[in-house]
Amino acid sequence: MKFTVNIKELKLSTSTEEKVLLKDIYFELSENCIYTILGKNGSGKSTLIKSLAGLLDKRFYSVKGSIVADNIEITTATDNELMSIRREKIKYVFQDATNSFDPLRKLGYYFKRFGLDKDKSEKLLDYFLLPCLNELSQMYPYELSGGMAQRFSFVFALLMKPELLILDEPTSGIDPAIANLFLLKIKEFISEDKKTVFLVTQDIEFAKSAGGFTAHIKDGVLSTFKPNDEYFDSEEILFKNSWGEL
Amino acid sequence: MNHLLKAENISYNIDKGKPILSNISFELNKGEILGIAGESGSGKTTLGKIIAGLITPSEGKITFAKSPGWENTKVSPIQILFQNNGETLNPFRRIDSVVKEALKLRNGVIINPEEEADKIFLSLDLKENLRKRKGYELSGGEQQRGALARLLAVKPVLLILDEPFSAQDPDSQYNFLDLFKKINSQRGVTLICISHNLRILKELCNNLLIIYRGSIVERGKCATIFNNPSHPYTRFLFKADNYKLSHDEFRNEPYNIQEPD
Repeated sequence: MKFTVNIKELKLSTSTEEKVLLKDIYFELSENCIYTILGKNGSGKSTLIKSLAGLLDKRFYSVKGSIVADNIEITTATDNELMSIRREKIKYVFQDATNSFDPLRKLGYYFKRFGLDKDKSEKLLDYFLLPCLNELSQMYPYELSGGMAQRFSFVFALLMKPELLILDEPTSGIDPAIANLFLLKIKEFISEDKKTVFLVTQDIEFAKSAGGFTAHIKDGVLSTFKPNDEYFDSEEILFKNSWGEL
Repeated sequence: MNHLLKAENISYNIDKGKPILSNISFELNKGEILGIAGESGSGKTTLGKIIAGLITPSEGKITFAKSPGWENTKVSPIQILFQNNGETLNPFRRIDSVVKEALKLRNGVIINPEEEADKIFLSLDLKENLRKRKGYELSGGEQQRGALARLLAVKPVLLILDEPFSAQDPDSQYNFLDLFKKINSQRGVTLICISHNLRILKELCNNLLIIYRGSIVERGKCATIFNNPSHPYTRFLFKADNYKLSHDEFRNEPYNIQEPD
């Protein structure tokens, strides 16, 4: 069965509904495609993608409308349902990768706990220029640099073979070469594994090279997703300033 | 020329391990803006800390042309704007009080500290209401400006900026770029900017050093390097910045760390 995510009339606000963060959001994600959302600091990008994985704390946020992922209504799902969908279908890679891991556990724990395939792990670690499995397994998360933690977090998400991979600013704080590596793997994940990637970024160059569909958030409104080339040909430029060609 | 700083054969390693920096030599002129670029983990921040005297190099020396008056001061004429300002600003103190305290450390007498603080805040576009806020009440960009205000209060001769543009959207990056240019031209502060954002370095800097695995592989005028990069690693870096690399190109490493003639 095809994996789809359907978002209708979504409205995100603070728990008291004093402040509306985003409203009137409609879109659909289908498999085998990459979706990119651009937006400035504080525009609500992360809030939106967190809502897709049911990650918004209900004490602070109110989520109205409907998010249906794989026939499950995320907005009303129980904790157990959310846990299982996050384990099997939707993987979320946080912007702050270092703090996504338990500081008291060596990284080997994650490979054992989720029974990850040794050869595939080894291959992906090599692809991302990370230390080999044996070496990495003996390390604690705080022994990794920020960029390494981000790569490991990404590798780990890929190994879980999710239907939907959500990335929060995958290229922030990493050097251009590694960012380039991310882009190559994301494209491969879509073309070869036929999966969906949904990401938010401020990196225009990355967004331009990503392909798929692109939209932006401005003043609490999400624009319509357009094919990448068309978006960059037609949309008014979101940022006053861009850095031009190198 | 008007030399401010000279680094000669700087090397740094921990416990006789793999060197983090090897044989770094360069000169910095007064009023210059020098960019330092290179991949994560190439030793950029370590070099910044050595220049500021926070860590001592294993070999080599840094000579800094101290202007008169700095000999007996409590603060260093070389200051660093760290990457994680959230952790360097006291979260429980108001920005204005932090800055006023820093003013007392300045070399020389300040006739009107209130006015001087105002000037600094104004130049950084920190409005009245923000000045009264505590560290934790500020956003990332505001914290950065708060930290910058504290640094300007001691009137540094050389200011080292460590990745000042990461985690900002292009518009705020542009504002900071303007701000740094102003600090350089109006306050006469010499700048070293460490960043892996090549596009911004191209706009900001006069000269550039490209560091690869702890060594300088290319140096020169910014415009020259961007127009005609001579080292293969520099070309690799530029290509990466445009997202034009294929995975095979990552296998060309390691590059020769010799500087081309």
